[in-house]
Amino acid sequence: MSMDQLSIYLYVIGSGITVVVFYSYIVYLYRSEKRGEKDYEKYGRIAIDDEIDSTPVETVSDPANKNKE
Amino acid sequence: MFHWLEKNPFFFAVGVFLTIAFAGAVTILPHFNKSAQPVKGLKPYSVLELAGRHVYIKDNCLSCHSQLIRPFKAETDRYGQYSLSGEYAYDRPFLWGSRRIGPDLHRVGNYRTPDWHANHMWEPTSVVPGSVMPAYKHQFTNIADTETAYAEAVTVKTAFGVPYGDDIQPGRAAYEKVLKSKVLPEALKIATQMKNKDLIARVKAGKIPEVVALTAYLERLK
Amino acid sequence: MQSNAAMEYDYSIVKLYMWTTVIFGIVGMLVGVIIASQLAWPQLNYWLGEYGTFSRLRPIHTNVVVYGFMISGIFVGFYYSAQRVLKVSIGESKFLMTLGYLQFFLYLIAASGLVISEGMGITTSKEYAQMEWPLDILIVVIWVLWGMIMFGLIGMRREKALYISMWYYVATFLGVAMLYLFNNMEIPTQLLSGGLGAWYHSVSMYAGTNDAMVQWWWGHNAVAFVFTVPIIALIYYYLPKESGQAVYSYKLSLLSFWGLMFIYLWAGGHHLLWSTVPDWVQTMGSIFSVVLILPSWGSAINMLLTMKGEWNQLTDNPLIKFMVLASTFYMLSTLEGPIQAVKSVNAIAHFTDWIPGHVHDGVLGWVAFMVFATLMHSAPRVFKREIYSKSLLEAQFWIQTVAVVLYFTSMWIAGITQGMMWRAVDEYGNLMYSFIDTVNVLHPYWVIRAVGGTLYFIGLLMFAWNFFMTATAGRKLETEPQFRSPMA
Repeated sequence: MSMDQLSIYLYVIGSGITVVVFYSYIVYLYRSEKRGEKDYEKYGRIAIDDEIDSTPVETVSDPANKNKE
Repeated sequence: MFHWLEKNPFFFAVGVFLTIAFAGAVTILPHFNKSAQPVKGLKPYSVLELAGRHVYIKDNCLSCHSQLIRPFKAETDRYGQYSLSGEYAYDRPFLWGSRRIGPDLHRVGNYRTPDWHANHMWEPTSVVPGSVMPAYKHQFTNIADTETAYAEAVTVKTAFGVPYGDDIQPGRAAYEKVLKSKVLPEALKIATQMKNKDLIARVKAGKIPEVVALTAYLERLK
Repeated sequence: MQSNAAMEYDYSIVKLYMWTTVIFGIVGMLVGVIIASQLAWPQLNYWLGEYGTFSRLRPIHTNVVVYGFMISGIFVGFYYSAQRVLKVSIGESKFLMTLGYLQFFLYLIAASGLVISEGMGITTSKEYAQMEWPLDILIVVIWVLWGMIMFGLIGMRREKALYISMWYYVATFLGVAMLYLFNNMEIPTQLLSGGLGAWYHSVSMYAGTNDAMVQWWWGHNAVAFVFTVPIIALIYYYLPKESGQAVYSYKLSLLSFWGLMFIYLWAGGHHLLWSTVPDWVQTMGSIFSVVLILPSWGSAINMLLTMKGEWNQLTDNPLIKFMVLASTFYMLSTLEGPIQAVKSVNAIAHFTDWIPGHVHDGVLGWVAFMVFATLMHSAPRVFKREIYSKSLLEAQFWIQTVAVVLYFTSMWIAGITQGMMWRAVDEYGNLMYSFIDTVNVLHPYWVIRAVGGTLYFIGLLMFAWNFFMTATAGRKLETEPQFRSPMA
């Protein structure tokens, strides 16, 4: 197979996978929030509430968060 | 899935990198060999032409001049045959430019002469009334760096197999020999065609003004 | 907590970059005004011998505004906002502080070296990558240091999830690193020639069409990863913080981030339409440029909707004005770019003034406005002083907005006029205009452009004065303002 053909196959397959992954990701994002499993919008607070002594949205060392994952 | 990435910076970085790199891997790499083949009969730049090319880069002519004739009738009528990939095989770097404040120069050697260039570089409006190009009078006194041009010729010959003759060899002795036997006679020929006594005298004294090297390069663009 | 020195954000590196932003901004834009005037009045080329010609000054203008003004502004934003969204102070690590100072001083050396070498005509000639190999190596070191600081801070963070801005900083770091390394592969000519010639000279590892492809892969993505990605990082932090409104949709920001990362790189081919690169690379460049509208507008709309219900802030807070207009210009230029990338439009637009026109509505309207807002929002927190003058900020906003409009409208008309004249033929099929006709017709537009540039520069001087006075003479603040920046 020539490099030309290879790159075309690579491109078609790669784009196909990307489109599928991307759209299922959109569906996943909105569904999981609708079901109440996740709350993504709380992360928007990171920029608003950014004093060094304010409570993080999720703490790095907090074991409770690990269980949530 | 993706959201997990935002909490794991290492995998996040890997993911971003792969996403960015994908396009380059597919579009650029496969064509590397093919686009680099020279057209039949293409000769590498002579040392004097390379020195002129360096002047072209130093004074950044590509700010205003392109070297890429696109395949439209209006362009081929104005500038000549459209550009082919193989014609650029020895162009390191490429000098296509991105803005035509002045005309394309890819085939300027077909329709301008050395003495036209001499007048033009001294005072552009003397040959093109209304020109906005600055005069490049300093090119008549600055001396072209043929030694660096020679070093570049040796480098591309050794590293990339550009087909230069056997006389292009590393070391100062080889350079001096090429300078005397090839570069200076070639420069004298151009200077004579430029019909400028001062330039001829300088070349005879062994110093090649930048404008002579530049003209040799522009004459080569055909 | 306030008494504990270790528990405060450390802004000492932010301050350094703030001053370089202002200084490089003035230098770079002054050179811009000069070269714009040189096109309108060519006599202006002779004020500095060979060093004052348009062709020598143009790369100084582009490099100083991009690598001086913009990159400094981006580092201000990074050193300021990264600490805050990660909830960690850089002062907590002596090591990272040292790296930060080292990075700044190397950056100063590289930036000055770039200006000097450009002036002397020592250049590789590749646009936005003009640096010869010694500077290239220095820039790689600076970039690696930045990466170490970024990942060092991330390693120390208290906030588990990385905020949106951090994604864009990480992407900036990786994208520029990859593209820069590939594009600057070069061999110093002294190595193989037995020590002949200039020590700083090098020759590209790629030739002709390949060199062009790699260069515009970089050139386009310098636009992506310097003019776009880090500026989005800035706006995702500064607009919510200044307005007190959390970002409209975190999910939308996720989608537009990954979309942008995937699509942007494909679009590089649109700089080489109708050239000798393979046809399918050109076609991909065209198609993906159009697809690119989606993630770009995703971010921009997300920003505008963040202001939902709070539009009254637009009337009384000049910083919100700057940021909202910046996202609007971002939408404009990300729509204009894809239009120019359509092959038939590109046939007319390429090589004309429409291209610099497009770049400038992006950089003057989007990047520079965002950098001004970044500096002015950070200043009261960094210097613990009130912004010196609100009316000056308002006046700057309006002057510069008019300036940008003058700039891009004149360049649009000039570009399309020249593009059409190049291809105009009479009834027998002969070209109607000689080349110089198509240049002389542009004179009035070049005058308008020079006026627009001068107005913008005046606005910049007002900003510089306002900033200087804020840092030295603004009213002292007792507590750090939470959202809206206080101004007199």
